[in-house]
Amino acid sequence: MRIIEAKGLKKTFRAKVKPEGFLAGLKSLTFPQFRQVEAVKSVSFQVEEGEIVAFLGPNGAGKSTTIKMLTGILAPSSGSASVLGLDPQRDRTRLAMRVGAVFGQRSQLWFHLPPADSFRLLGAIYEIEPGALKRRQGELVERFGIGPYMDVPVRKLSLGERIRCEIAGALIHSPKVLFLDEPTIGLDVVAKREVRALLEEAVRTDGATVFLTSHDIGDIEKVCKRALIIHHGEVVVDESMKDLKHRALARKFIGVKYAEPVSFELPGLVPTKTKLEGGASAGSSGGAFTQASFVVDTRRHRIPELIRALAEKGEILDLTVEDEPLENIIASIFAARTGVEACDAARPVAESAGGES
Amino acid sequence: MRCGQTRGRVGGGRVMSHSLGAYAFAVGRKYGLAGATGLKTRLAYLGNYAGSILTYGLFVFVFSRIWTAVFESKAGATGFIAGYDRATAIWYFIVAEISVFGFGRFFWRLAEDVKSGQVSYLLGRPYSFVGFHYAESMGPALVDAVIFLAEGFLLGTLLAGPPVHFGPGRAAALILSLLLAGSLQFFLQFALAMTAFWIEENAAFFWIFQKLALIVGTLLPIEFLPPRAQAVAAYTPFPSLSYAPARIAVAAGIPEGLRLVSIQMVWLLGAILLCEAVYRLARKNLSVNGG
Amino acid sequence: MEKQSRIKAYARFLGASFSANFLAVIEYRANFLLQVFGMMLNNGAFALFWGVLLGRTGGIGGYGFTDVMFVWAVVSSAFGLAHVLFGNIRNLGRIIMQGELDLYLLQPKDVFLNVLASKTIVSAWGDLAYGLIVAALLPDFGVGRFFLFCVLTATGAVIFAATFAAAESLAFFMGNSQAISGALSEFLLSFSLYPETIFDKGMRWVFYTILPSGFIAFVPLAVYRGLDWRLVPVLIAVAILYAGLSYALFRAGLRRYESGNQMGARV
Repeated sequence: MRIIEAKGLKKTFRAKVKPEGFLAGLKSLTFPQFRQVEAVKSVSFQVEEGEIVAFLGPNGAGKSTTIKMLTGILAPSSGSASVLGLDPQRDRTRLAMRVGAVFGQRSQLWFHLPPADSFRLLGAIYEIEPGALKRRQGELVERFGIGPYMDVPVRKLSLGERIRCEIAGALIHSPKVLFLDEPTIGLDVVAKREVRALLEEAVRTDGATVFLTSHDIGDIEKVCKRALIIHHGEVVVDESMKDLKHRALARKFIGVKYAEPVSFELPGLVPTKTKLEGGASAGSSGGAFTQASFVVDTRRHRIPELIRALAEKGEILDLTVEDEPLENIIASIFAARTGVEACDAARPVAESAGGES
Repeated sequence: MRCGQTRGRVGGGRVMSHSLGAYAFAVGRKYGLAGATGLKTRLAYLGNYAGSILTYGLFVFVFSRIWTAVFESKAGATGFIAGYDRATAIWYFIVAEISVFGFGRFFWRLAEDVKSGQVSYLLGRPYSFVGFHYAESMGPALVDAVIFLAEGFLLGTLLAGPPVHFGPGRAAALILSLLLAGSLQFFLQFALAMTAFWIEENAAFFWIFQKLALIVGTLLPIEFLPPRAQAVAAYTPFPSLSYAPARIAVAAGIPEGLRLVSIQMVWLLGAILLCEAVYRLARKNLSVNGG
Repeated sequence: MEKQSRIKAYARFLGASFSANFLAVIEYRANFLLQVFGMMLNNGAFALFWGVLLGRTGGIGGYGFTDVMFVWAVVSSAFGLAHVLFGNIRNLGRIIMQGELDLYLLQPKDVFLNVLASKTIVSAWGDLAYGLIVAALLPDFGVGRFFLFCVLTATGAVIFAATFAAAESLAFFMGNSQAISGALSEFLLSFSLYPETIFDKGMRWVFYTILPSGFIAFVPLAVYRGLDWRLVPVLIAVAILYAGLSYALFRAGLRRYESGNQMGARV
């Protein structure tokens, strides 16, 4: 079933033009001038049940606006959205019963009370039968390992403990869709890992569909299976995480380590870094190294041939071949100045000589 | 190293290396700047004024209606109660409330400073702890008082007619009395605020002080209180807070005026000494217990 | 059946909300007691003032000492009850301006009720306590009078809450409405606590419209003095009317908020 469907979502705001100078300021009081701000130009996508989608975009790209239109907080200027078959604007209350949200920076739990009390209130808000509430709460408490914290005031919990309770609270009414905004912000590495595992489990066990917004590459890489990137009010990337990593920018990073210093030159390929471990010929001049890193444009060089060439030069101790870090890919998409440029940044470059397409 | 030692050393050095005049200038500048900074901060938040100006005006209006109703029913519009007629009672209230609105809320900021530990930071500075806060608080308070005075004058004229027998002499006495009242407010509230050194939740002390100040001389002239209450009140500083300037503004002749001002001065001196004593006690505690 | 279960669901929700509020406040027992004490001290000081003044003058604007005490009691408890149950009524403007409504919009309960009921004001418990205690000390106290007092407190509380919330809802339309709502609450409270007749006939219409002191204090006084239950349904109807108008204003503002054309569209 299509869980989320957005068709040509558009949102234009009227923003007051800030007057420059005193006279303009006076005029603006009686005859304010407005300009149109196109926060979202046209956004269309579909999300199926059980997907874990990363919703990314630089600040000001239209991310929050799109999510607000999906949850019924904002009415679109044109276009339509459908979540769980409901119109978020018209059926907001009905939709709210089946949707959960976690904001990393704002808490749904009451600060001075233990989570148990907040859960009771959430049970009342989501109209969960007391018996069912108790069962569900017990199940979540066990899964999330938050038993010892349930009776501790939230203000006394560490950030990691709090977020776990927060997510459990967001799942208490077994929502079909979970919106998450920066859920791992401020957490240490271990806590982040725990949260990610919990999110994956939520999808598996509860059949929830997850819509995640985050600036943390780890969140995106490790949890999400699909990426929706929005920039300048448009969707510029909509594909699986695997494709995104492999297709973009067609660059690979090769690192090689030799037993003995070697010296060679590969046509059209200059190492970005070299290192010389005190070898026999310590004073050997120009170009000898034991370790080197290369950035390879796969349009110009084929990896298998490159590796064969490197192996011929000497005894290899270690060889690494890495993809462009996802961070770089996303950064270049974000840095694009227009929607078209962003799409280009994400698409594989025109000729890919023999490389996997 | 203990804060007290630093202060003594630096203070001592300054006195010895400059002439007395330069010292006085330096001190004056120090406190003047503190006052000016507090003032500038105040003016930057002009929006906050609107609230108190409205509230003051509202209270003055409501009480003018109360007094009008009182005199119409009880003594006729031209009668006297406890020595006050309608106009005098209204003008009394106008001046009395200036003490509350202009100088009545030092406590909160002071208690905050004491509690937040700003104190230990300030204790290391080479000037009087109490004096510094006085300058910092009084700067903006004086501006407030002037504004309320102007508003009160305008409203009073509208509601009760122009002030009677209000010449330059009385005006000068009023200003002096208000300054004394304001300063007394400050030192009393500061002493209360400093109890935070020992008791963190000291808001209740201030509330009690505030309510007593309200009943003894602000809402009603002291002459309206039962005779026994009046007698007891005479031994408290409260009459010097609102009653003194209000009385001087509306009714007091020269002998009474002099008496009121002298009493204010005595209480002011007492309050200053109290503050210094509490402060020294607090510092002793701090340096023994380590802030 | 649908309607009935909706009402039950809301009753459970408001009950749970109140319970959470109460627990959160009791968490800091000392502060709670302090605030209650402070409010009672404050109200008590004014009782003293009136006692002294009326002792001197014998009566003002048709109010004797008992009348003044009643008015203080009913206004205190109405004001207190309003802020105990709907502690966010005076924060609503700020909540709107800072975009904190979004969290409530994501929950499947009416936004207006949800926002208002999600906080309690600690010192208001002191006002409520003071009002109830003074009411119990009034002459001719009995079950009937006490019950009447509770009804008058309830209608007063609804009118207080509705008026304050409406003033704060102006934030939807004019950005920073703190000045207006602050002024309105000052005025409403002040006028309610003083005898109606000291004010000119010319301005008394205000007390039955934008500053409903008439319905919070003056009419209840007449009702209580004469033990006249006939006007009670009128007061109840008025309270419902104020609540309805306030709700309508909020929803109109919410529609505006959802269209996103409010100040500084936060993208």
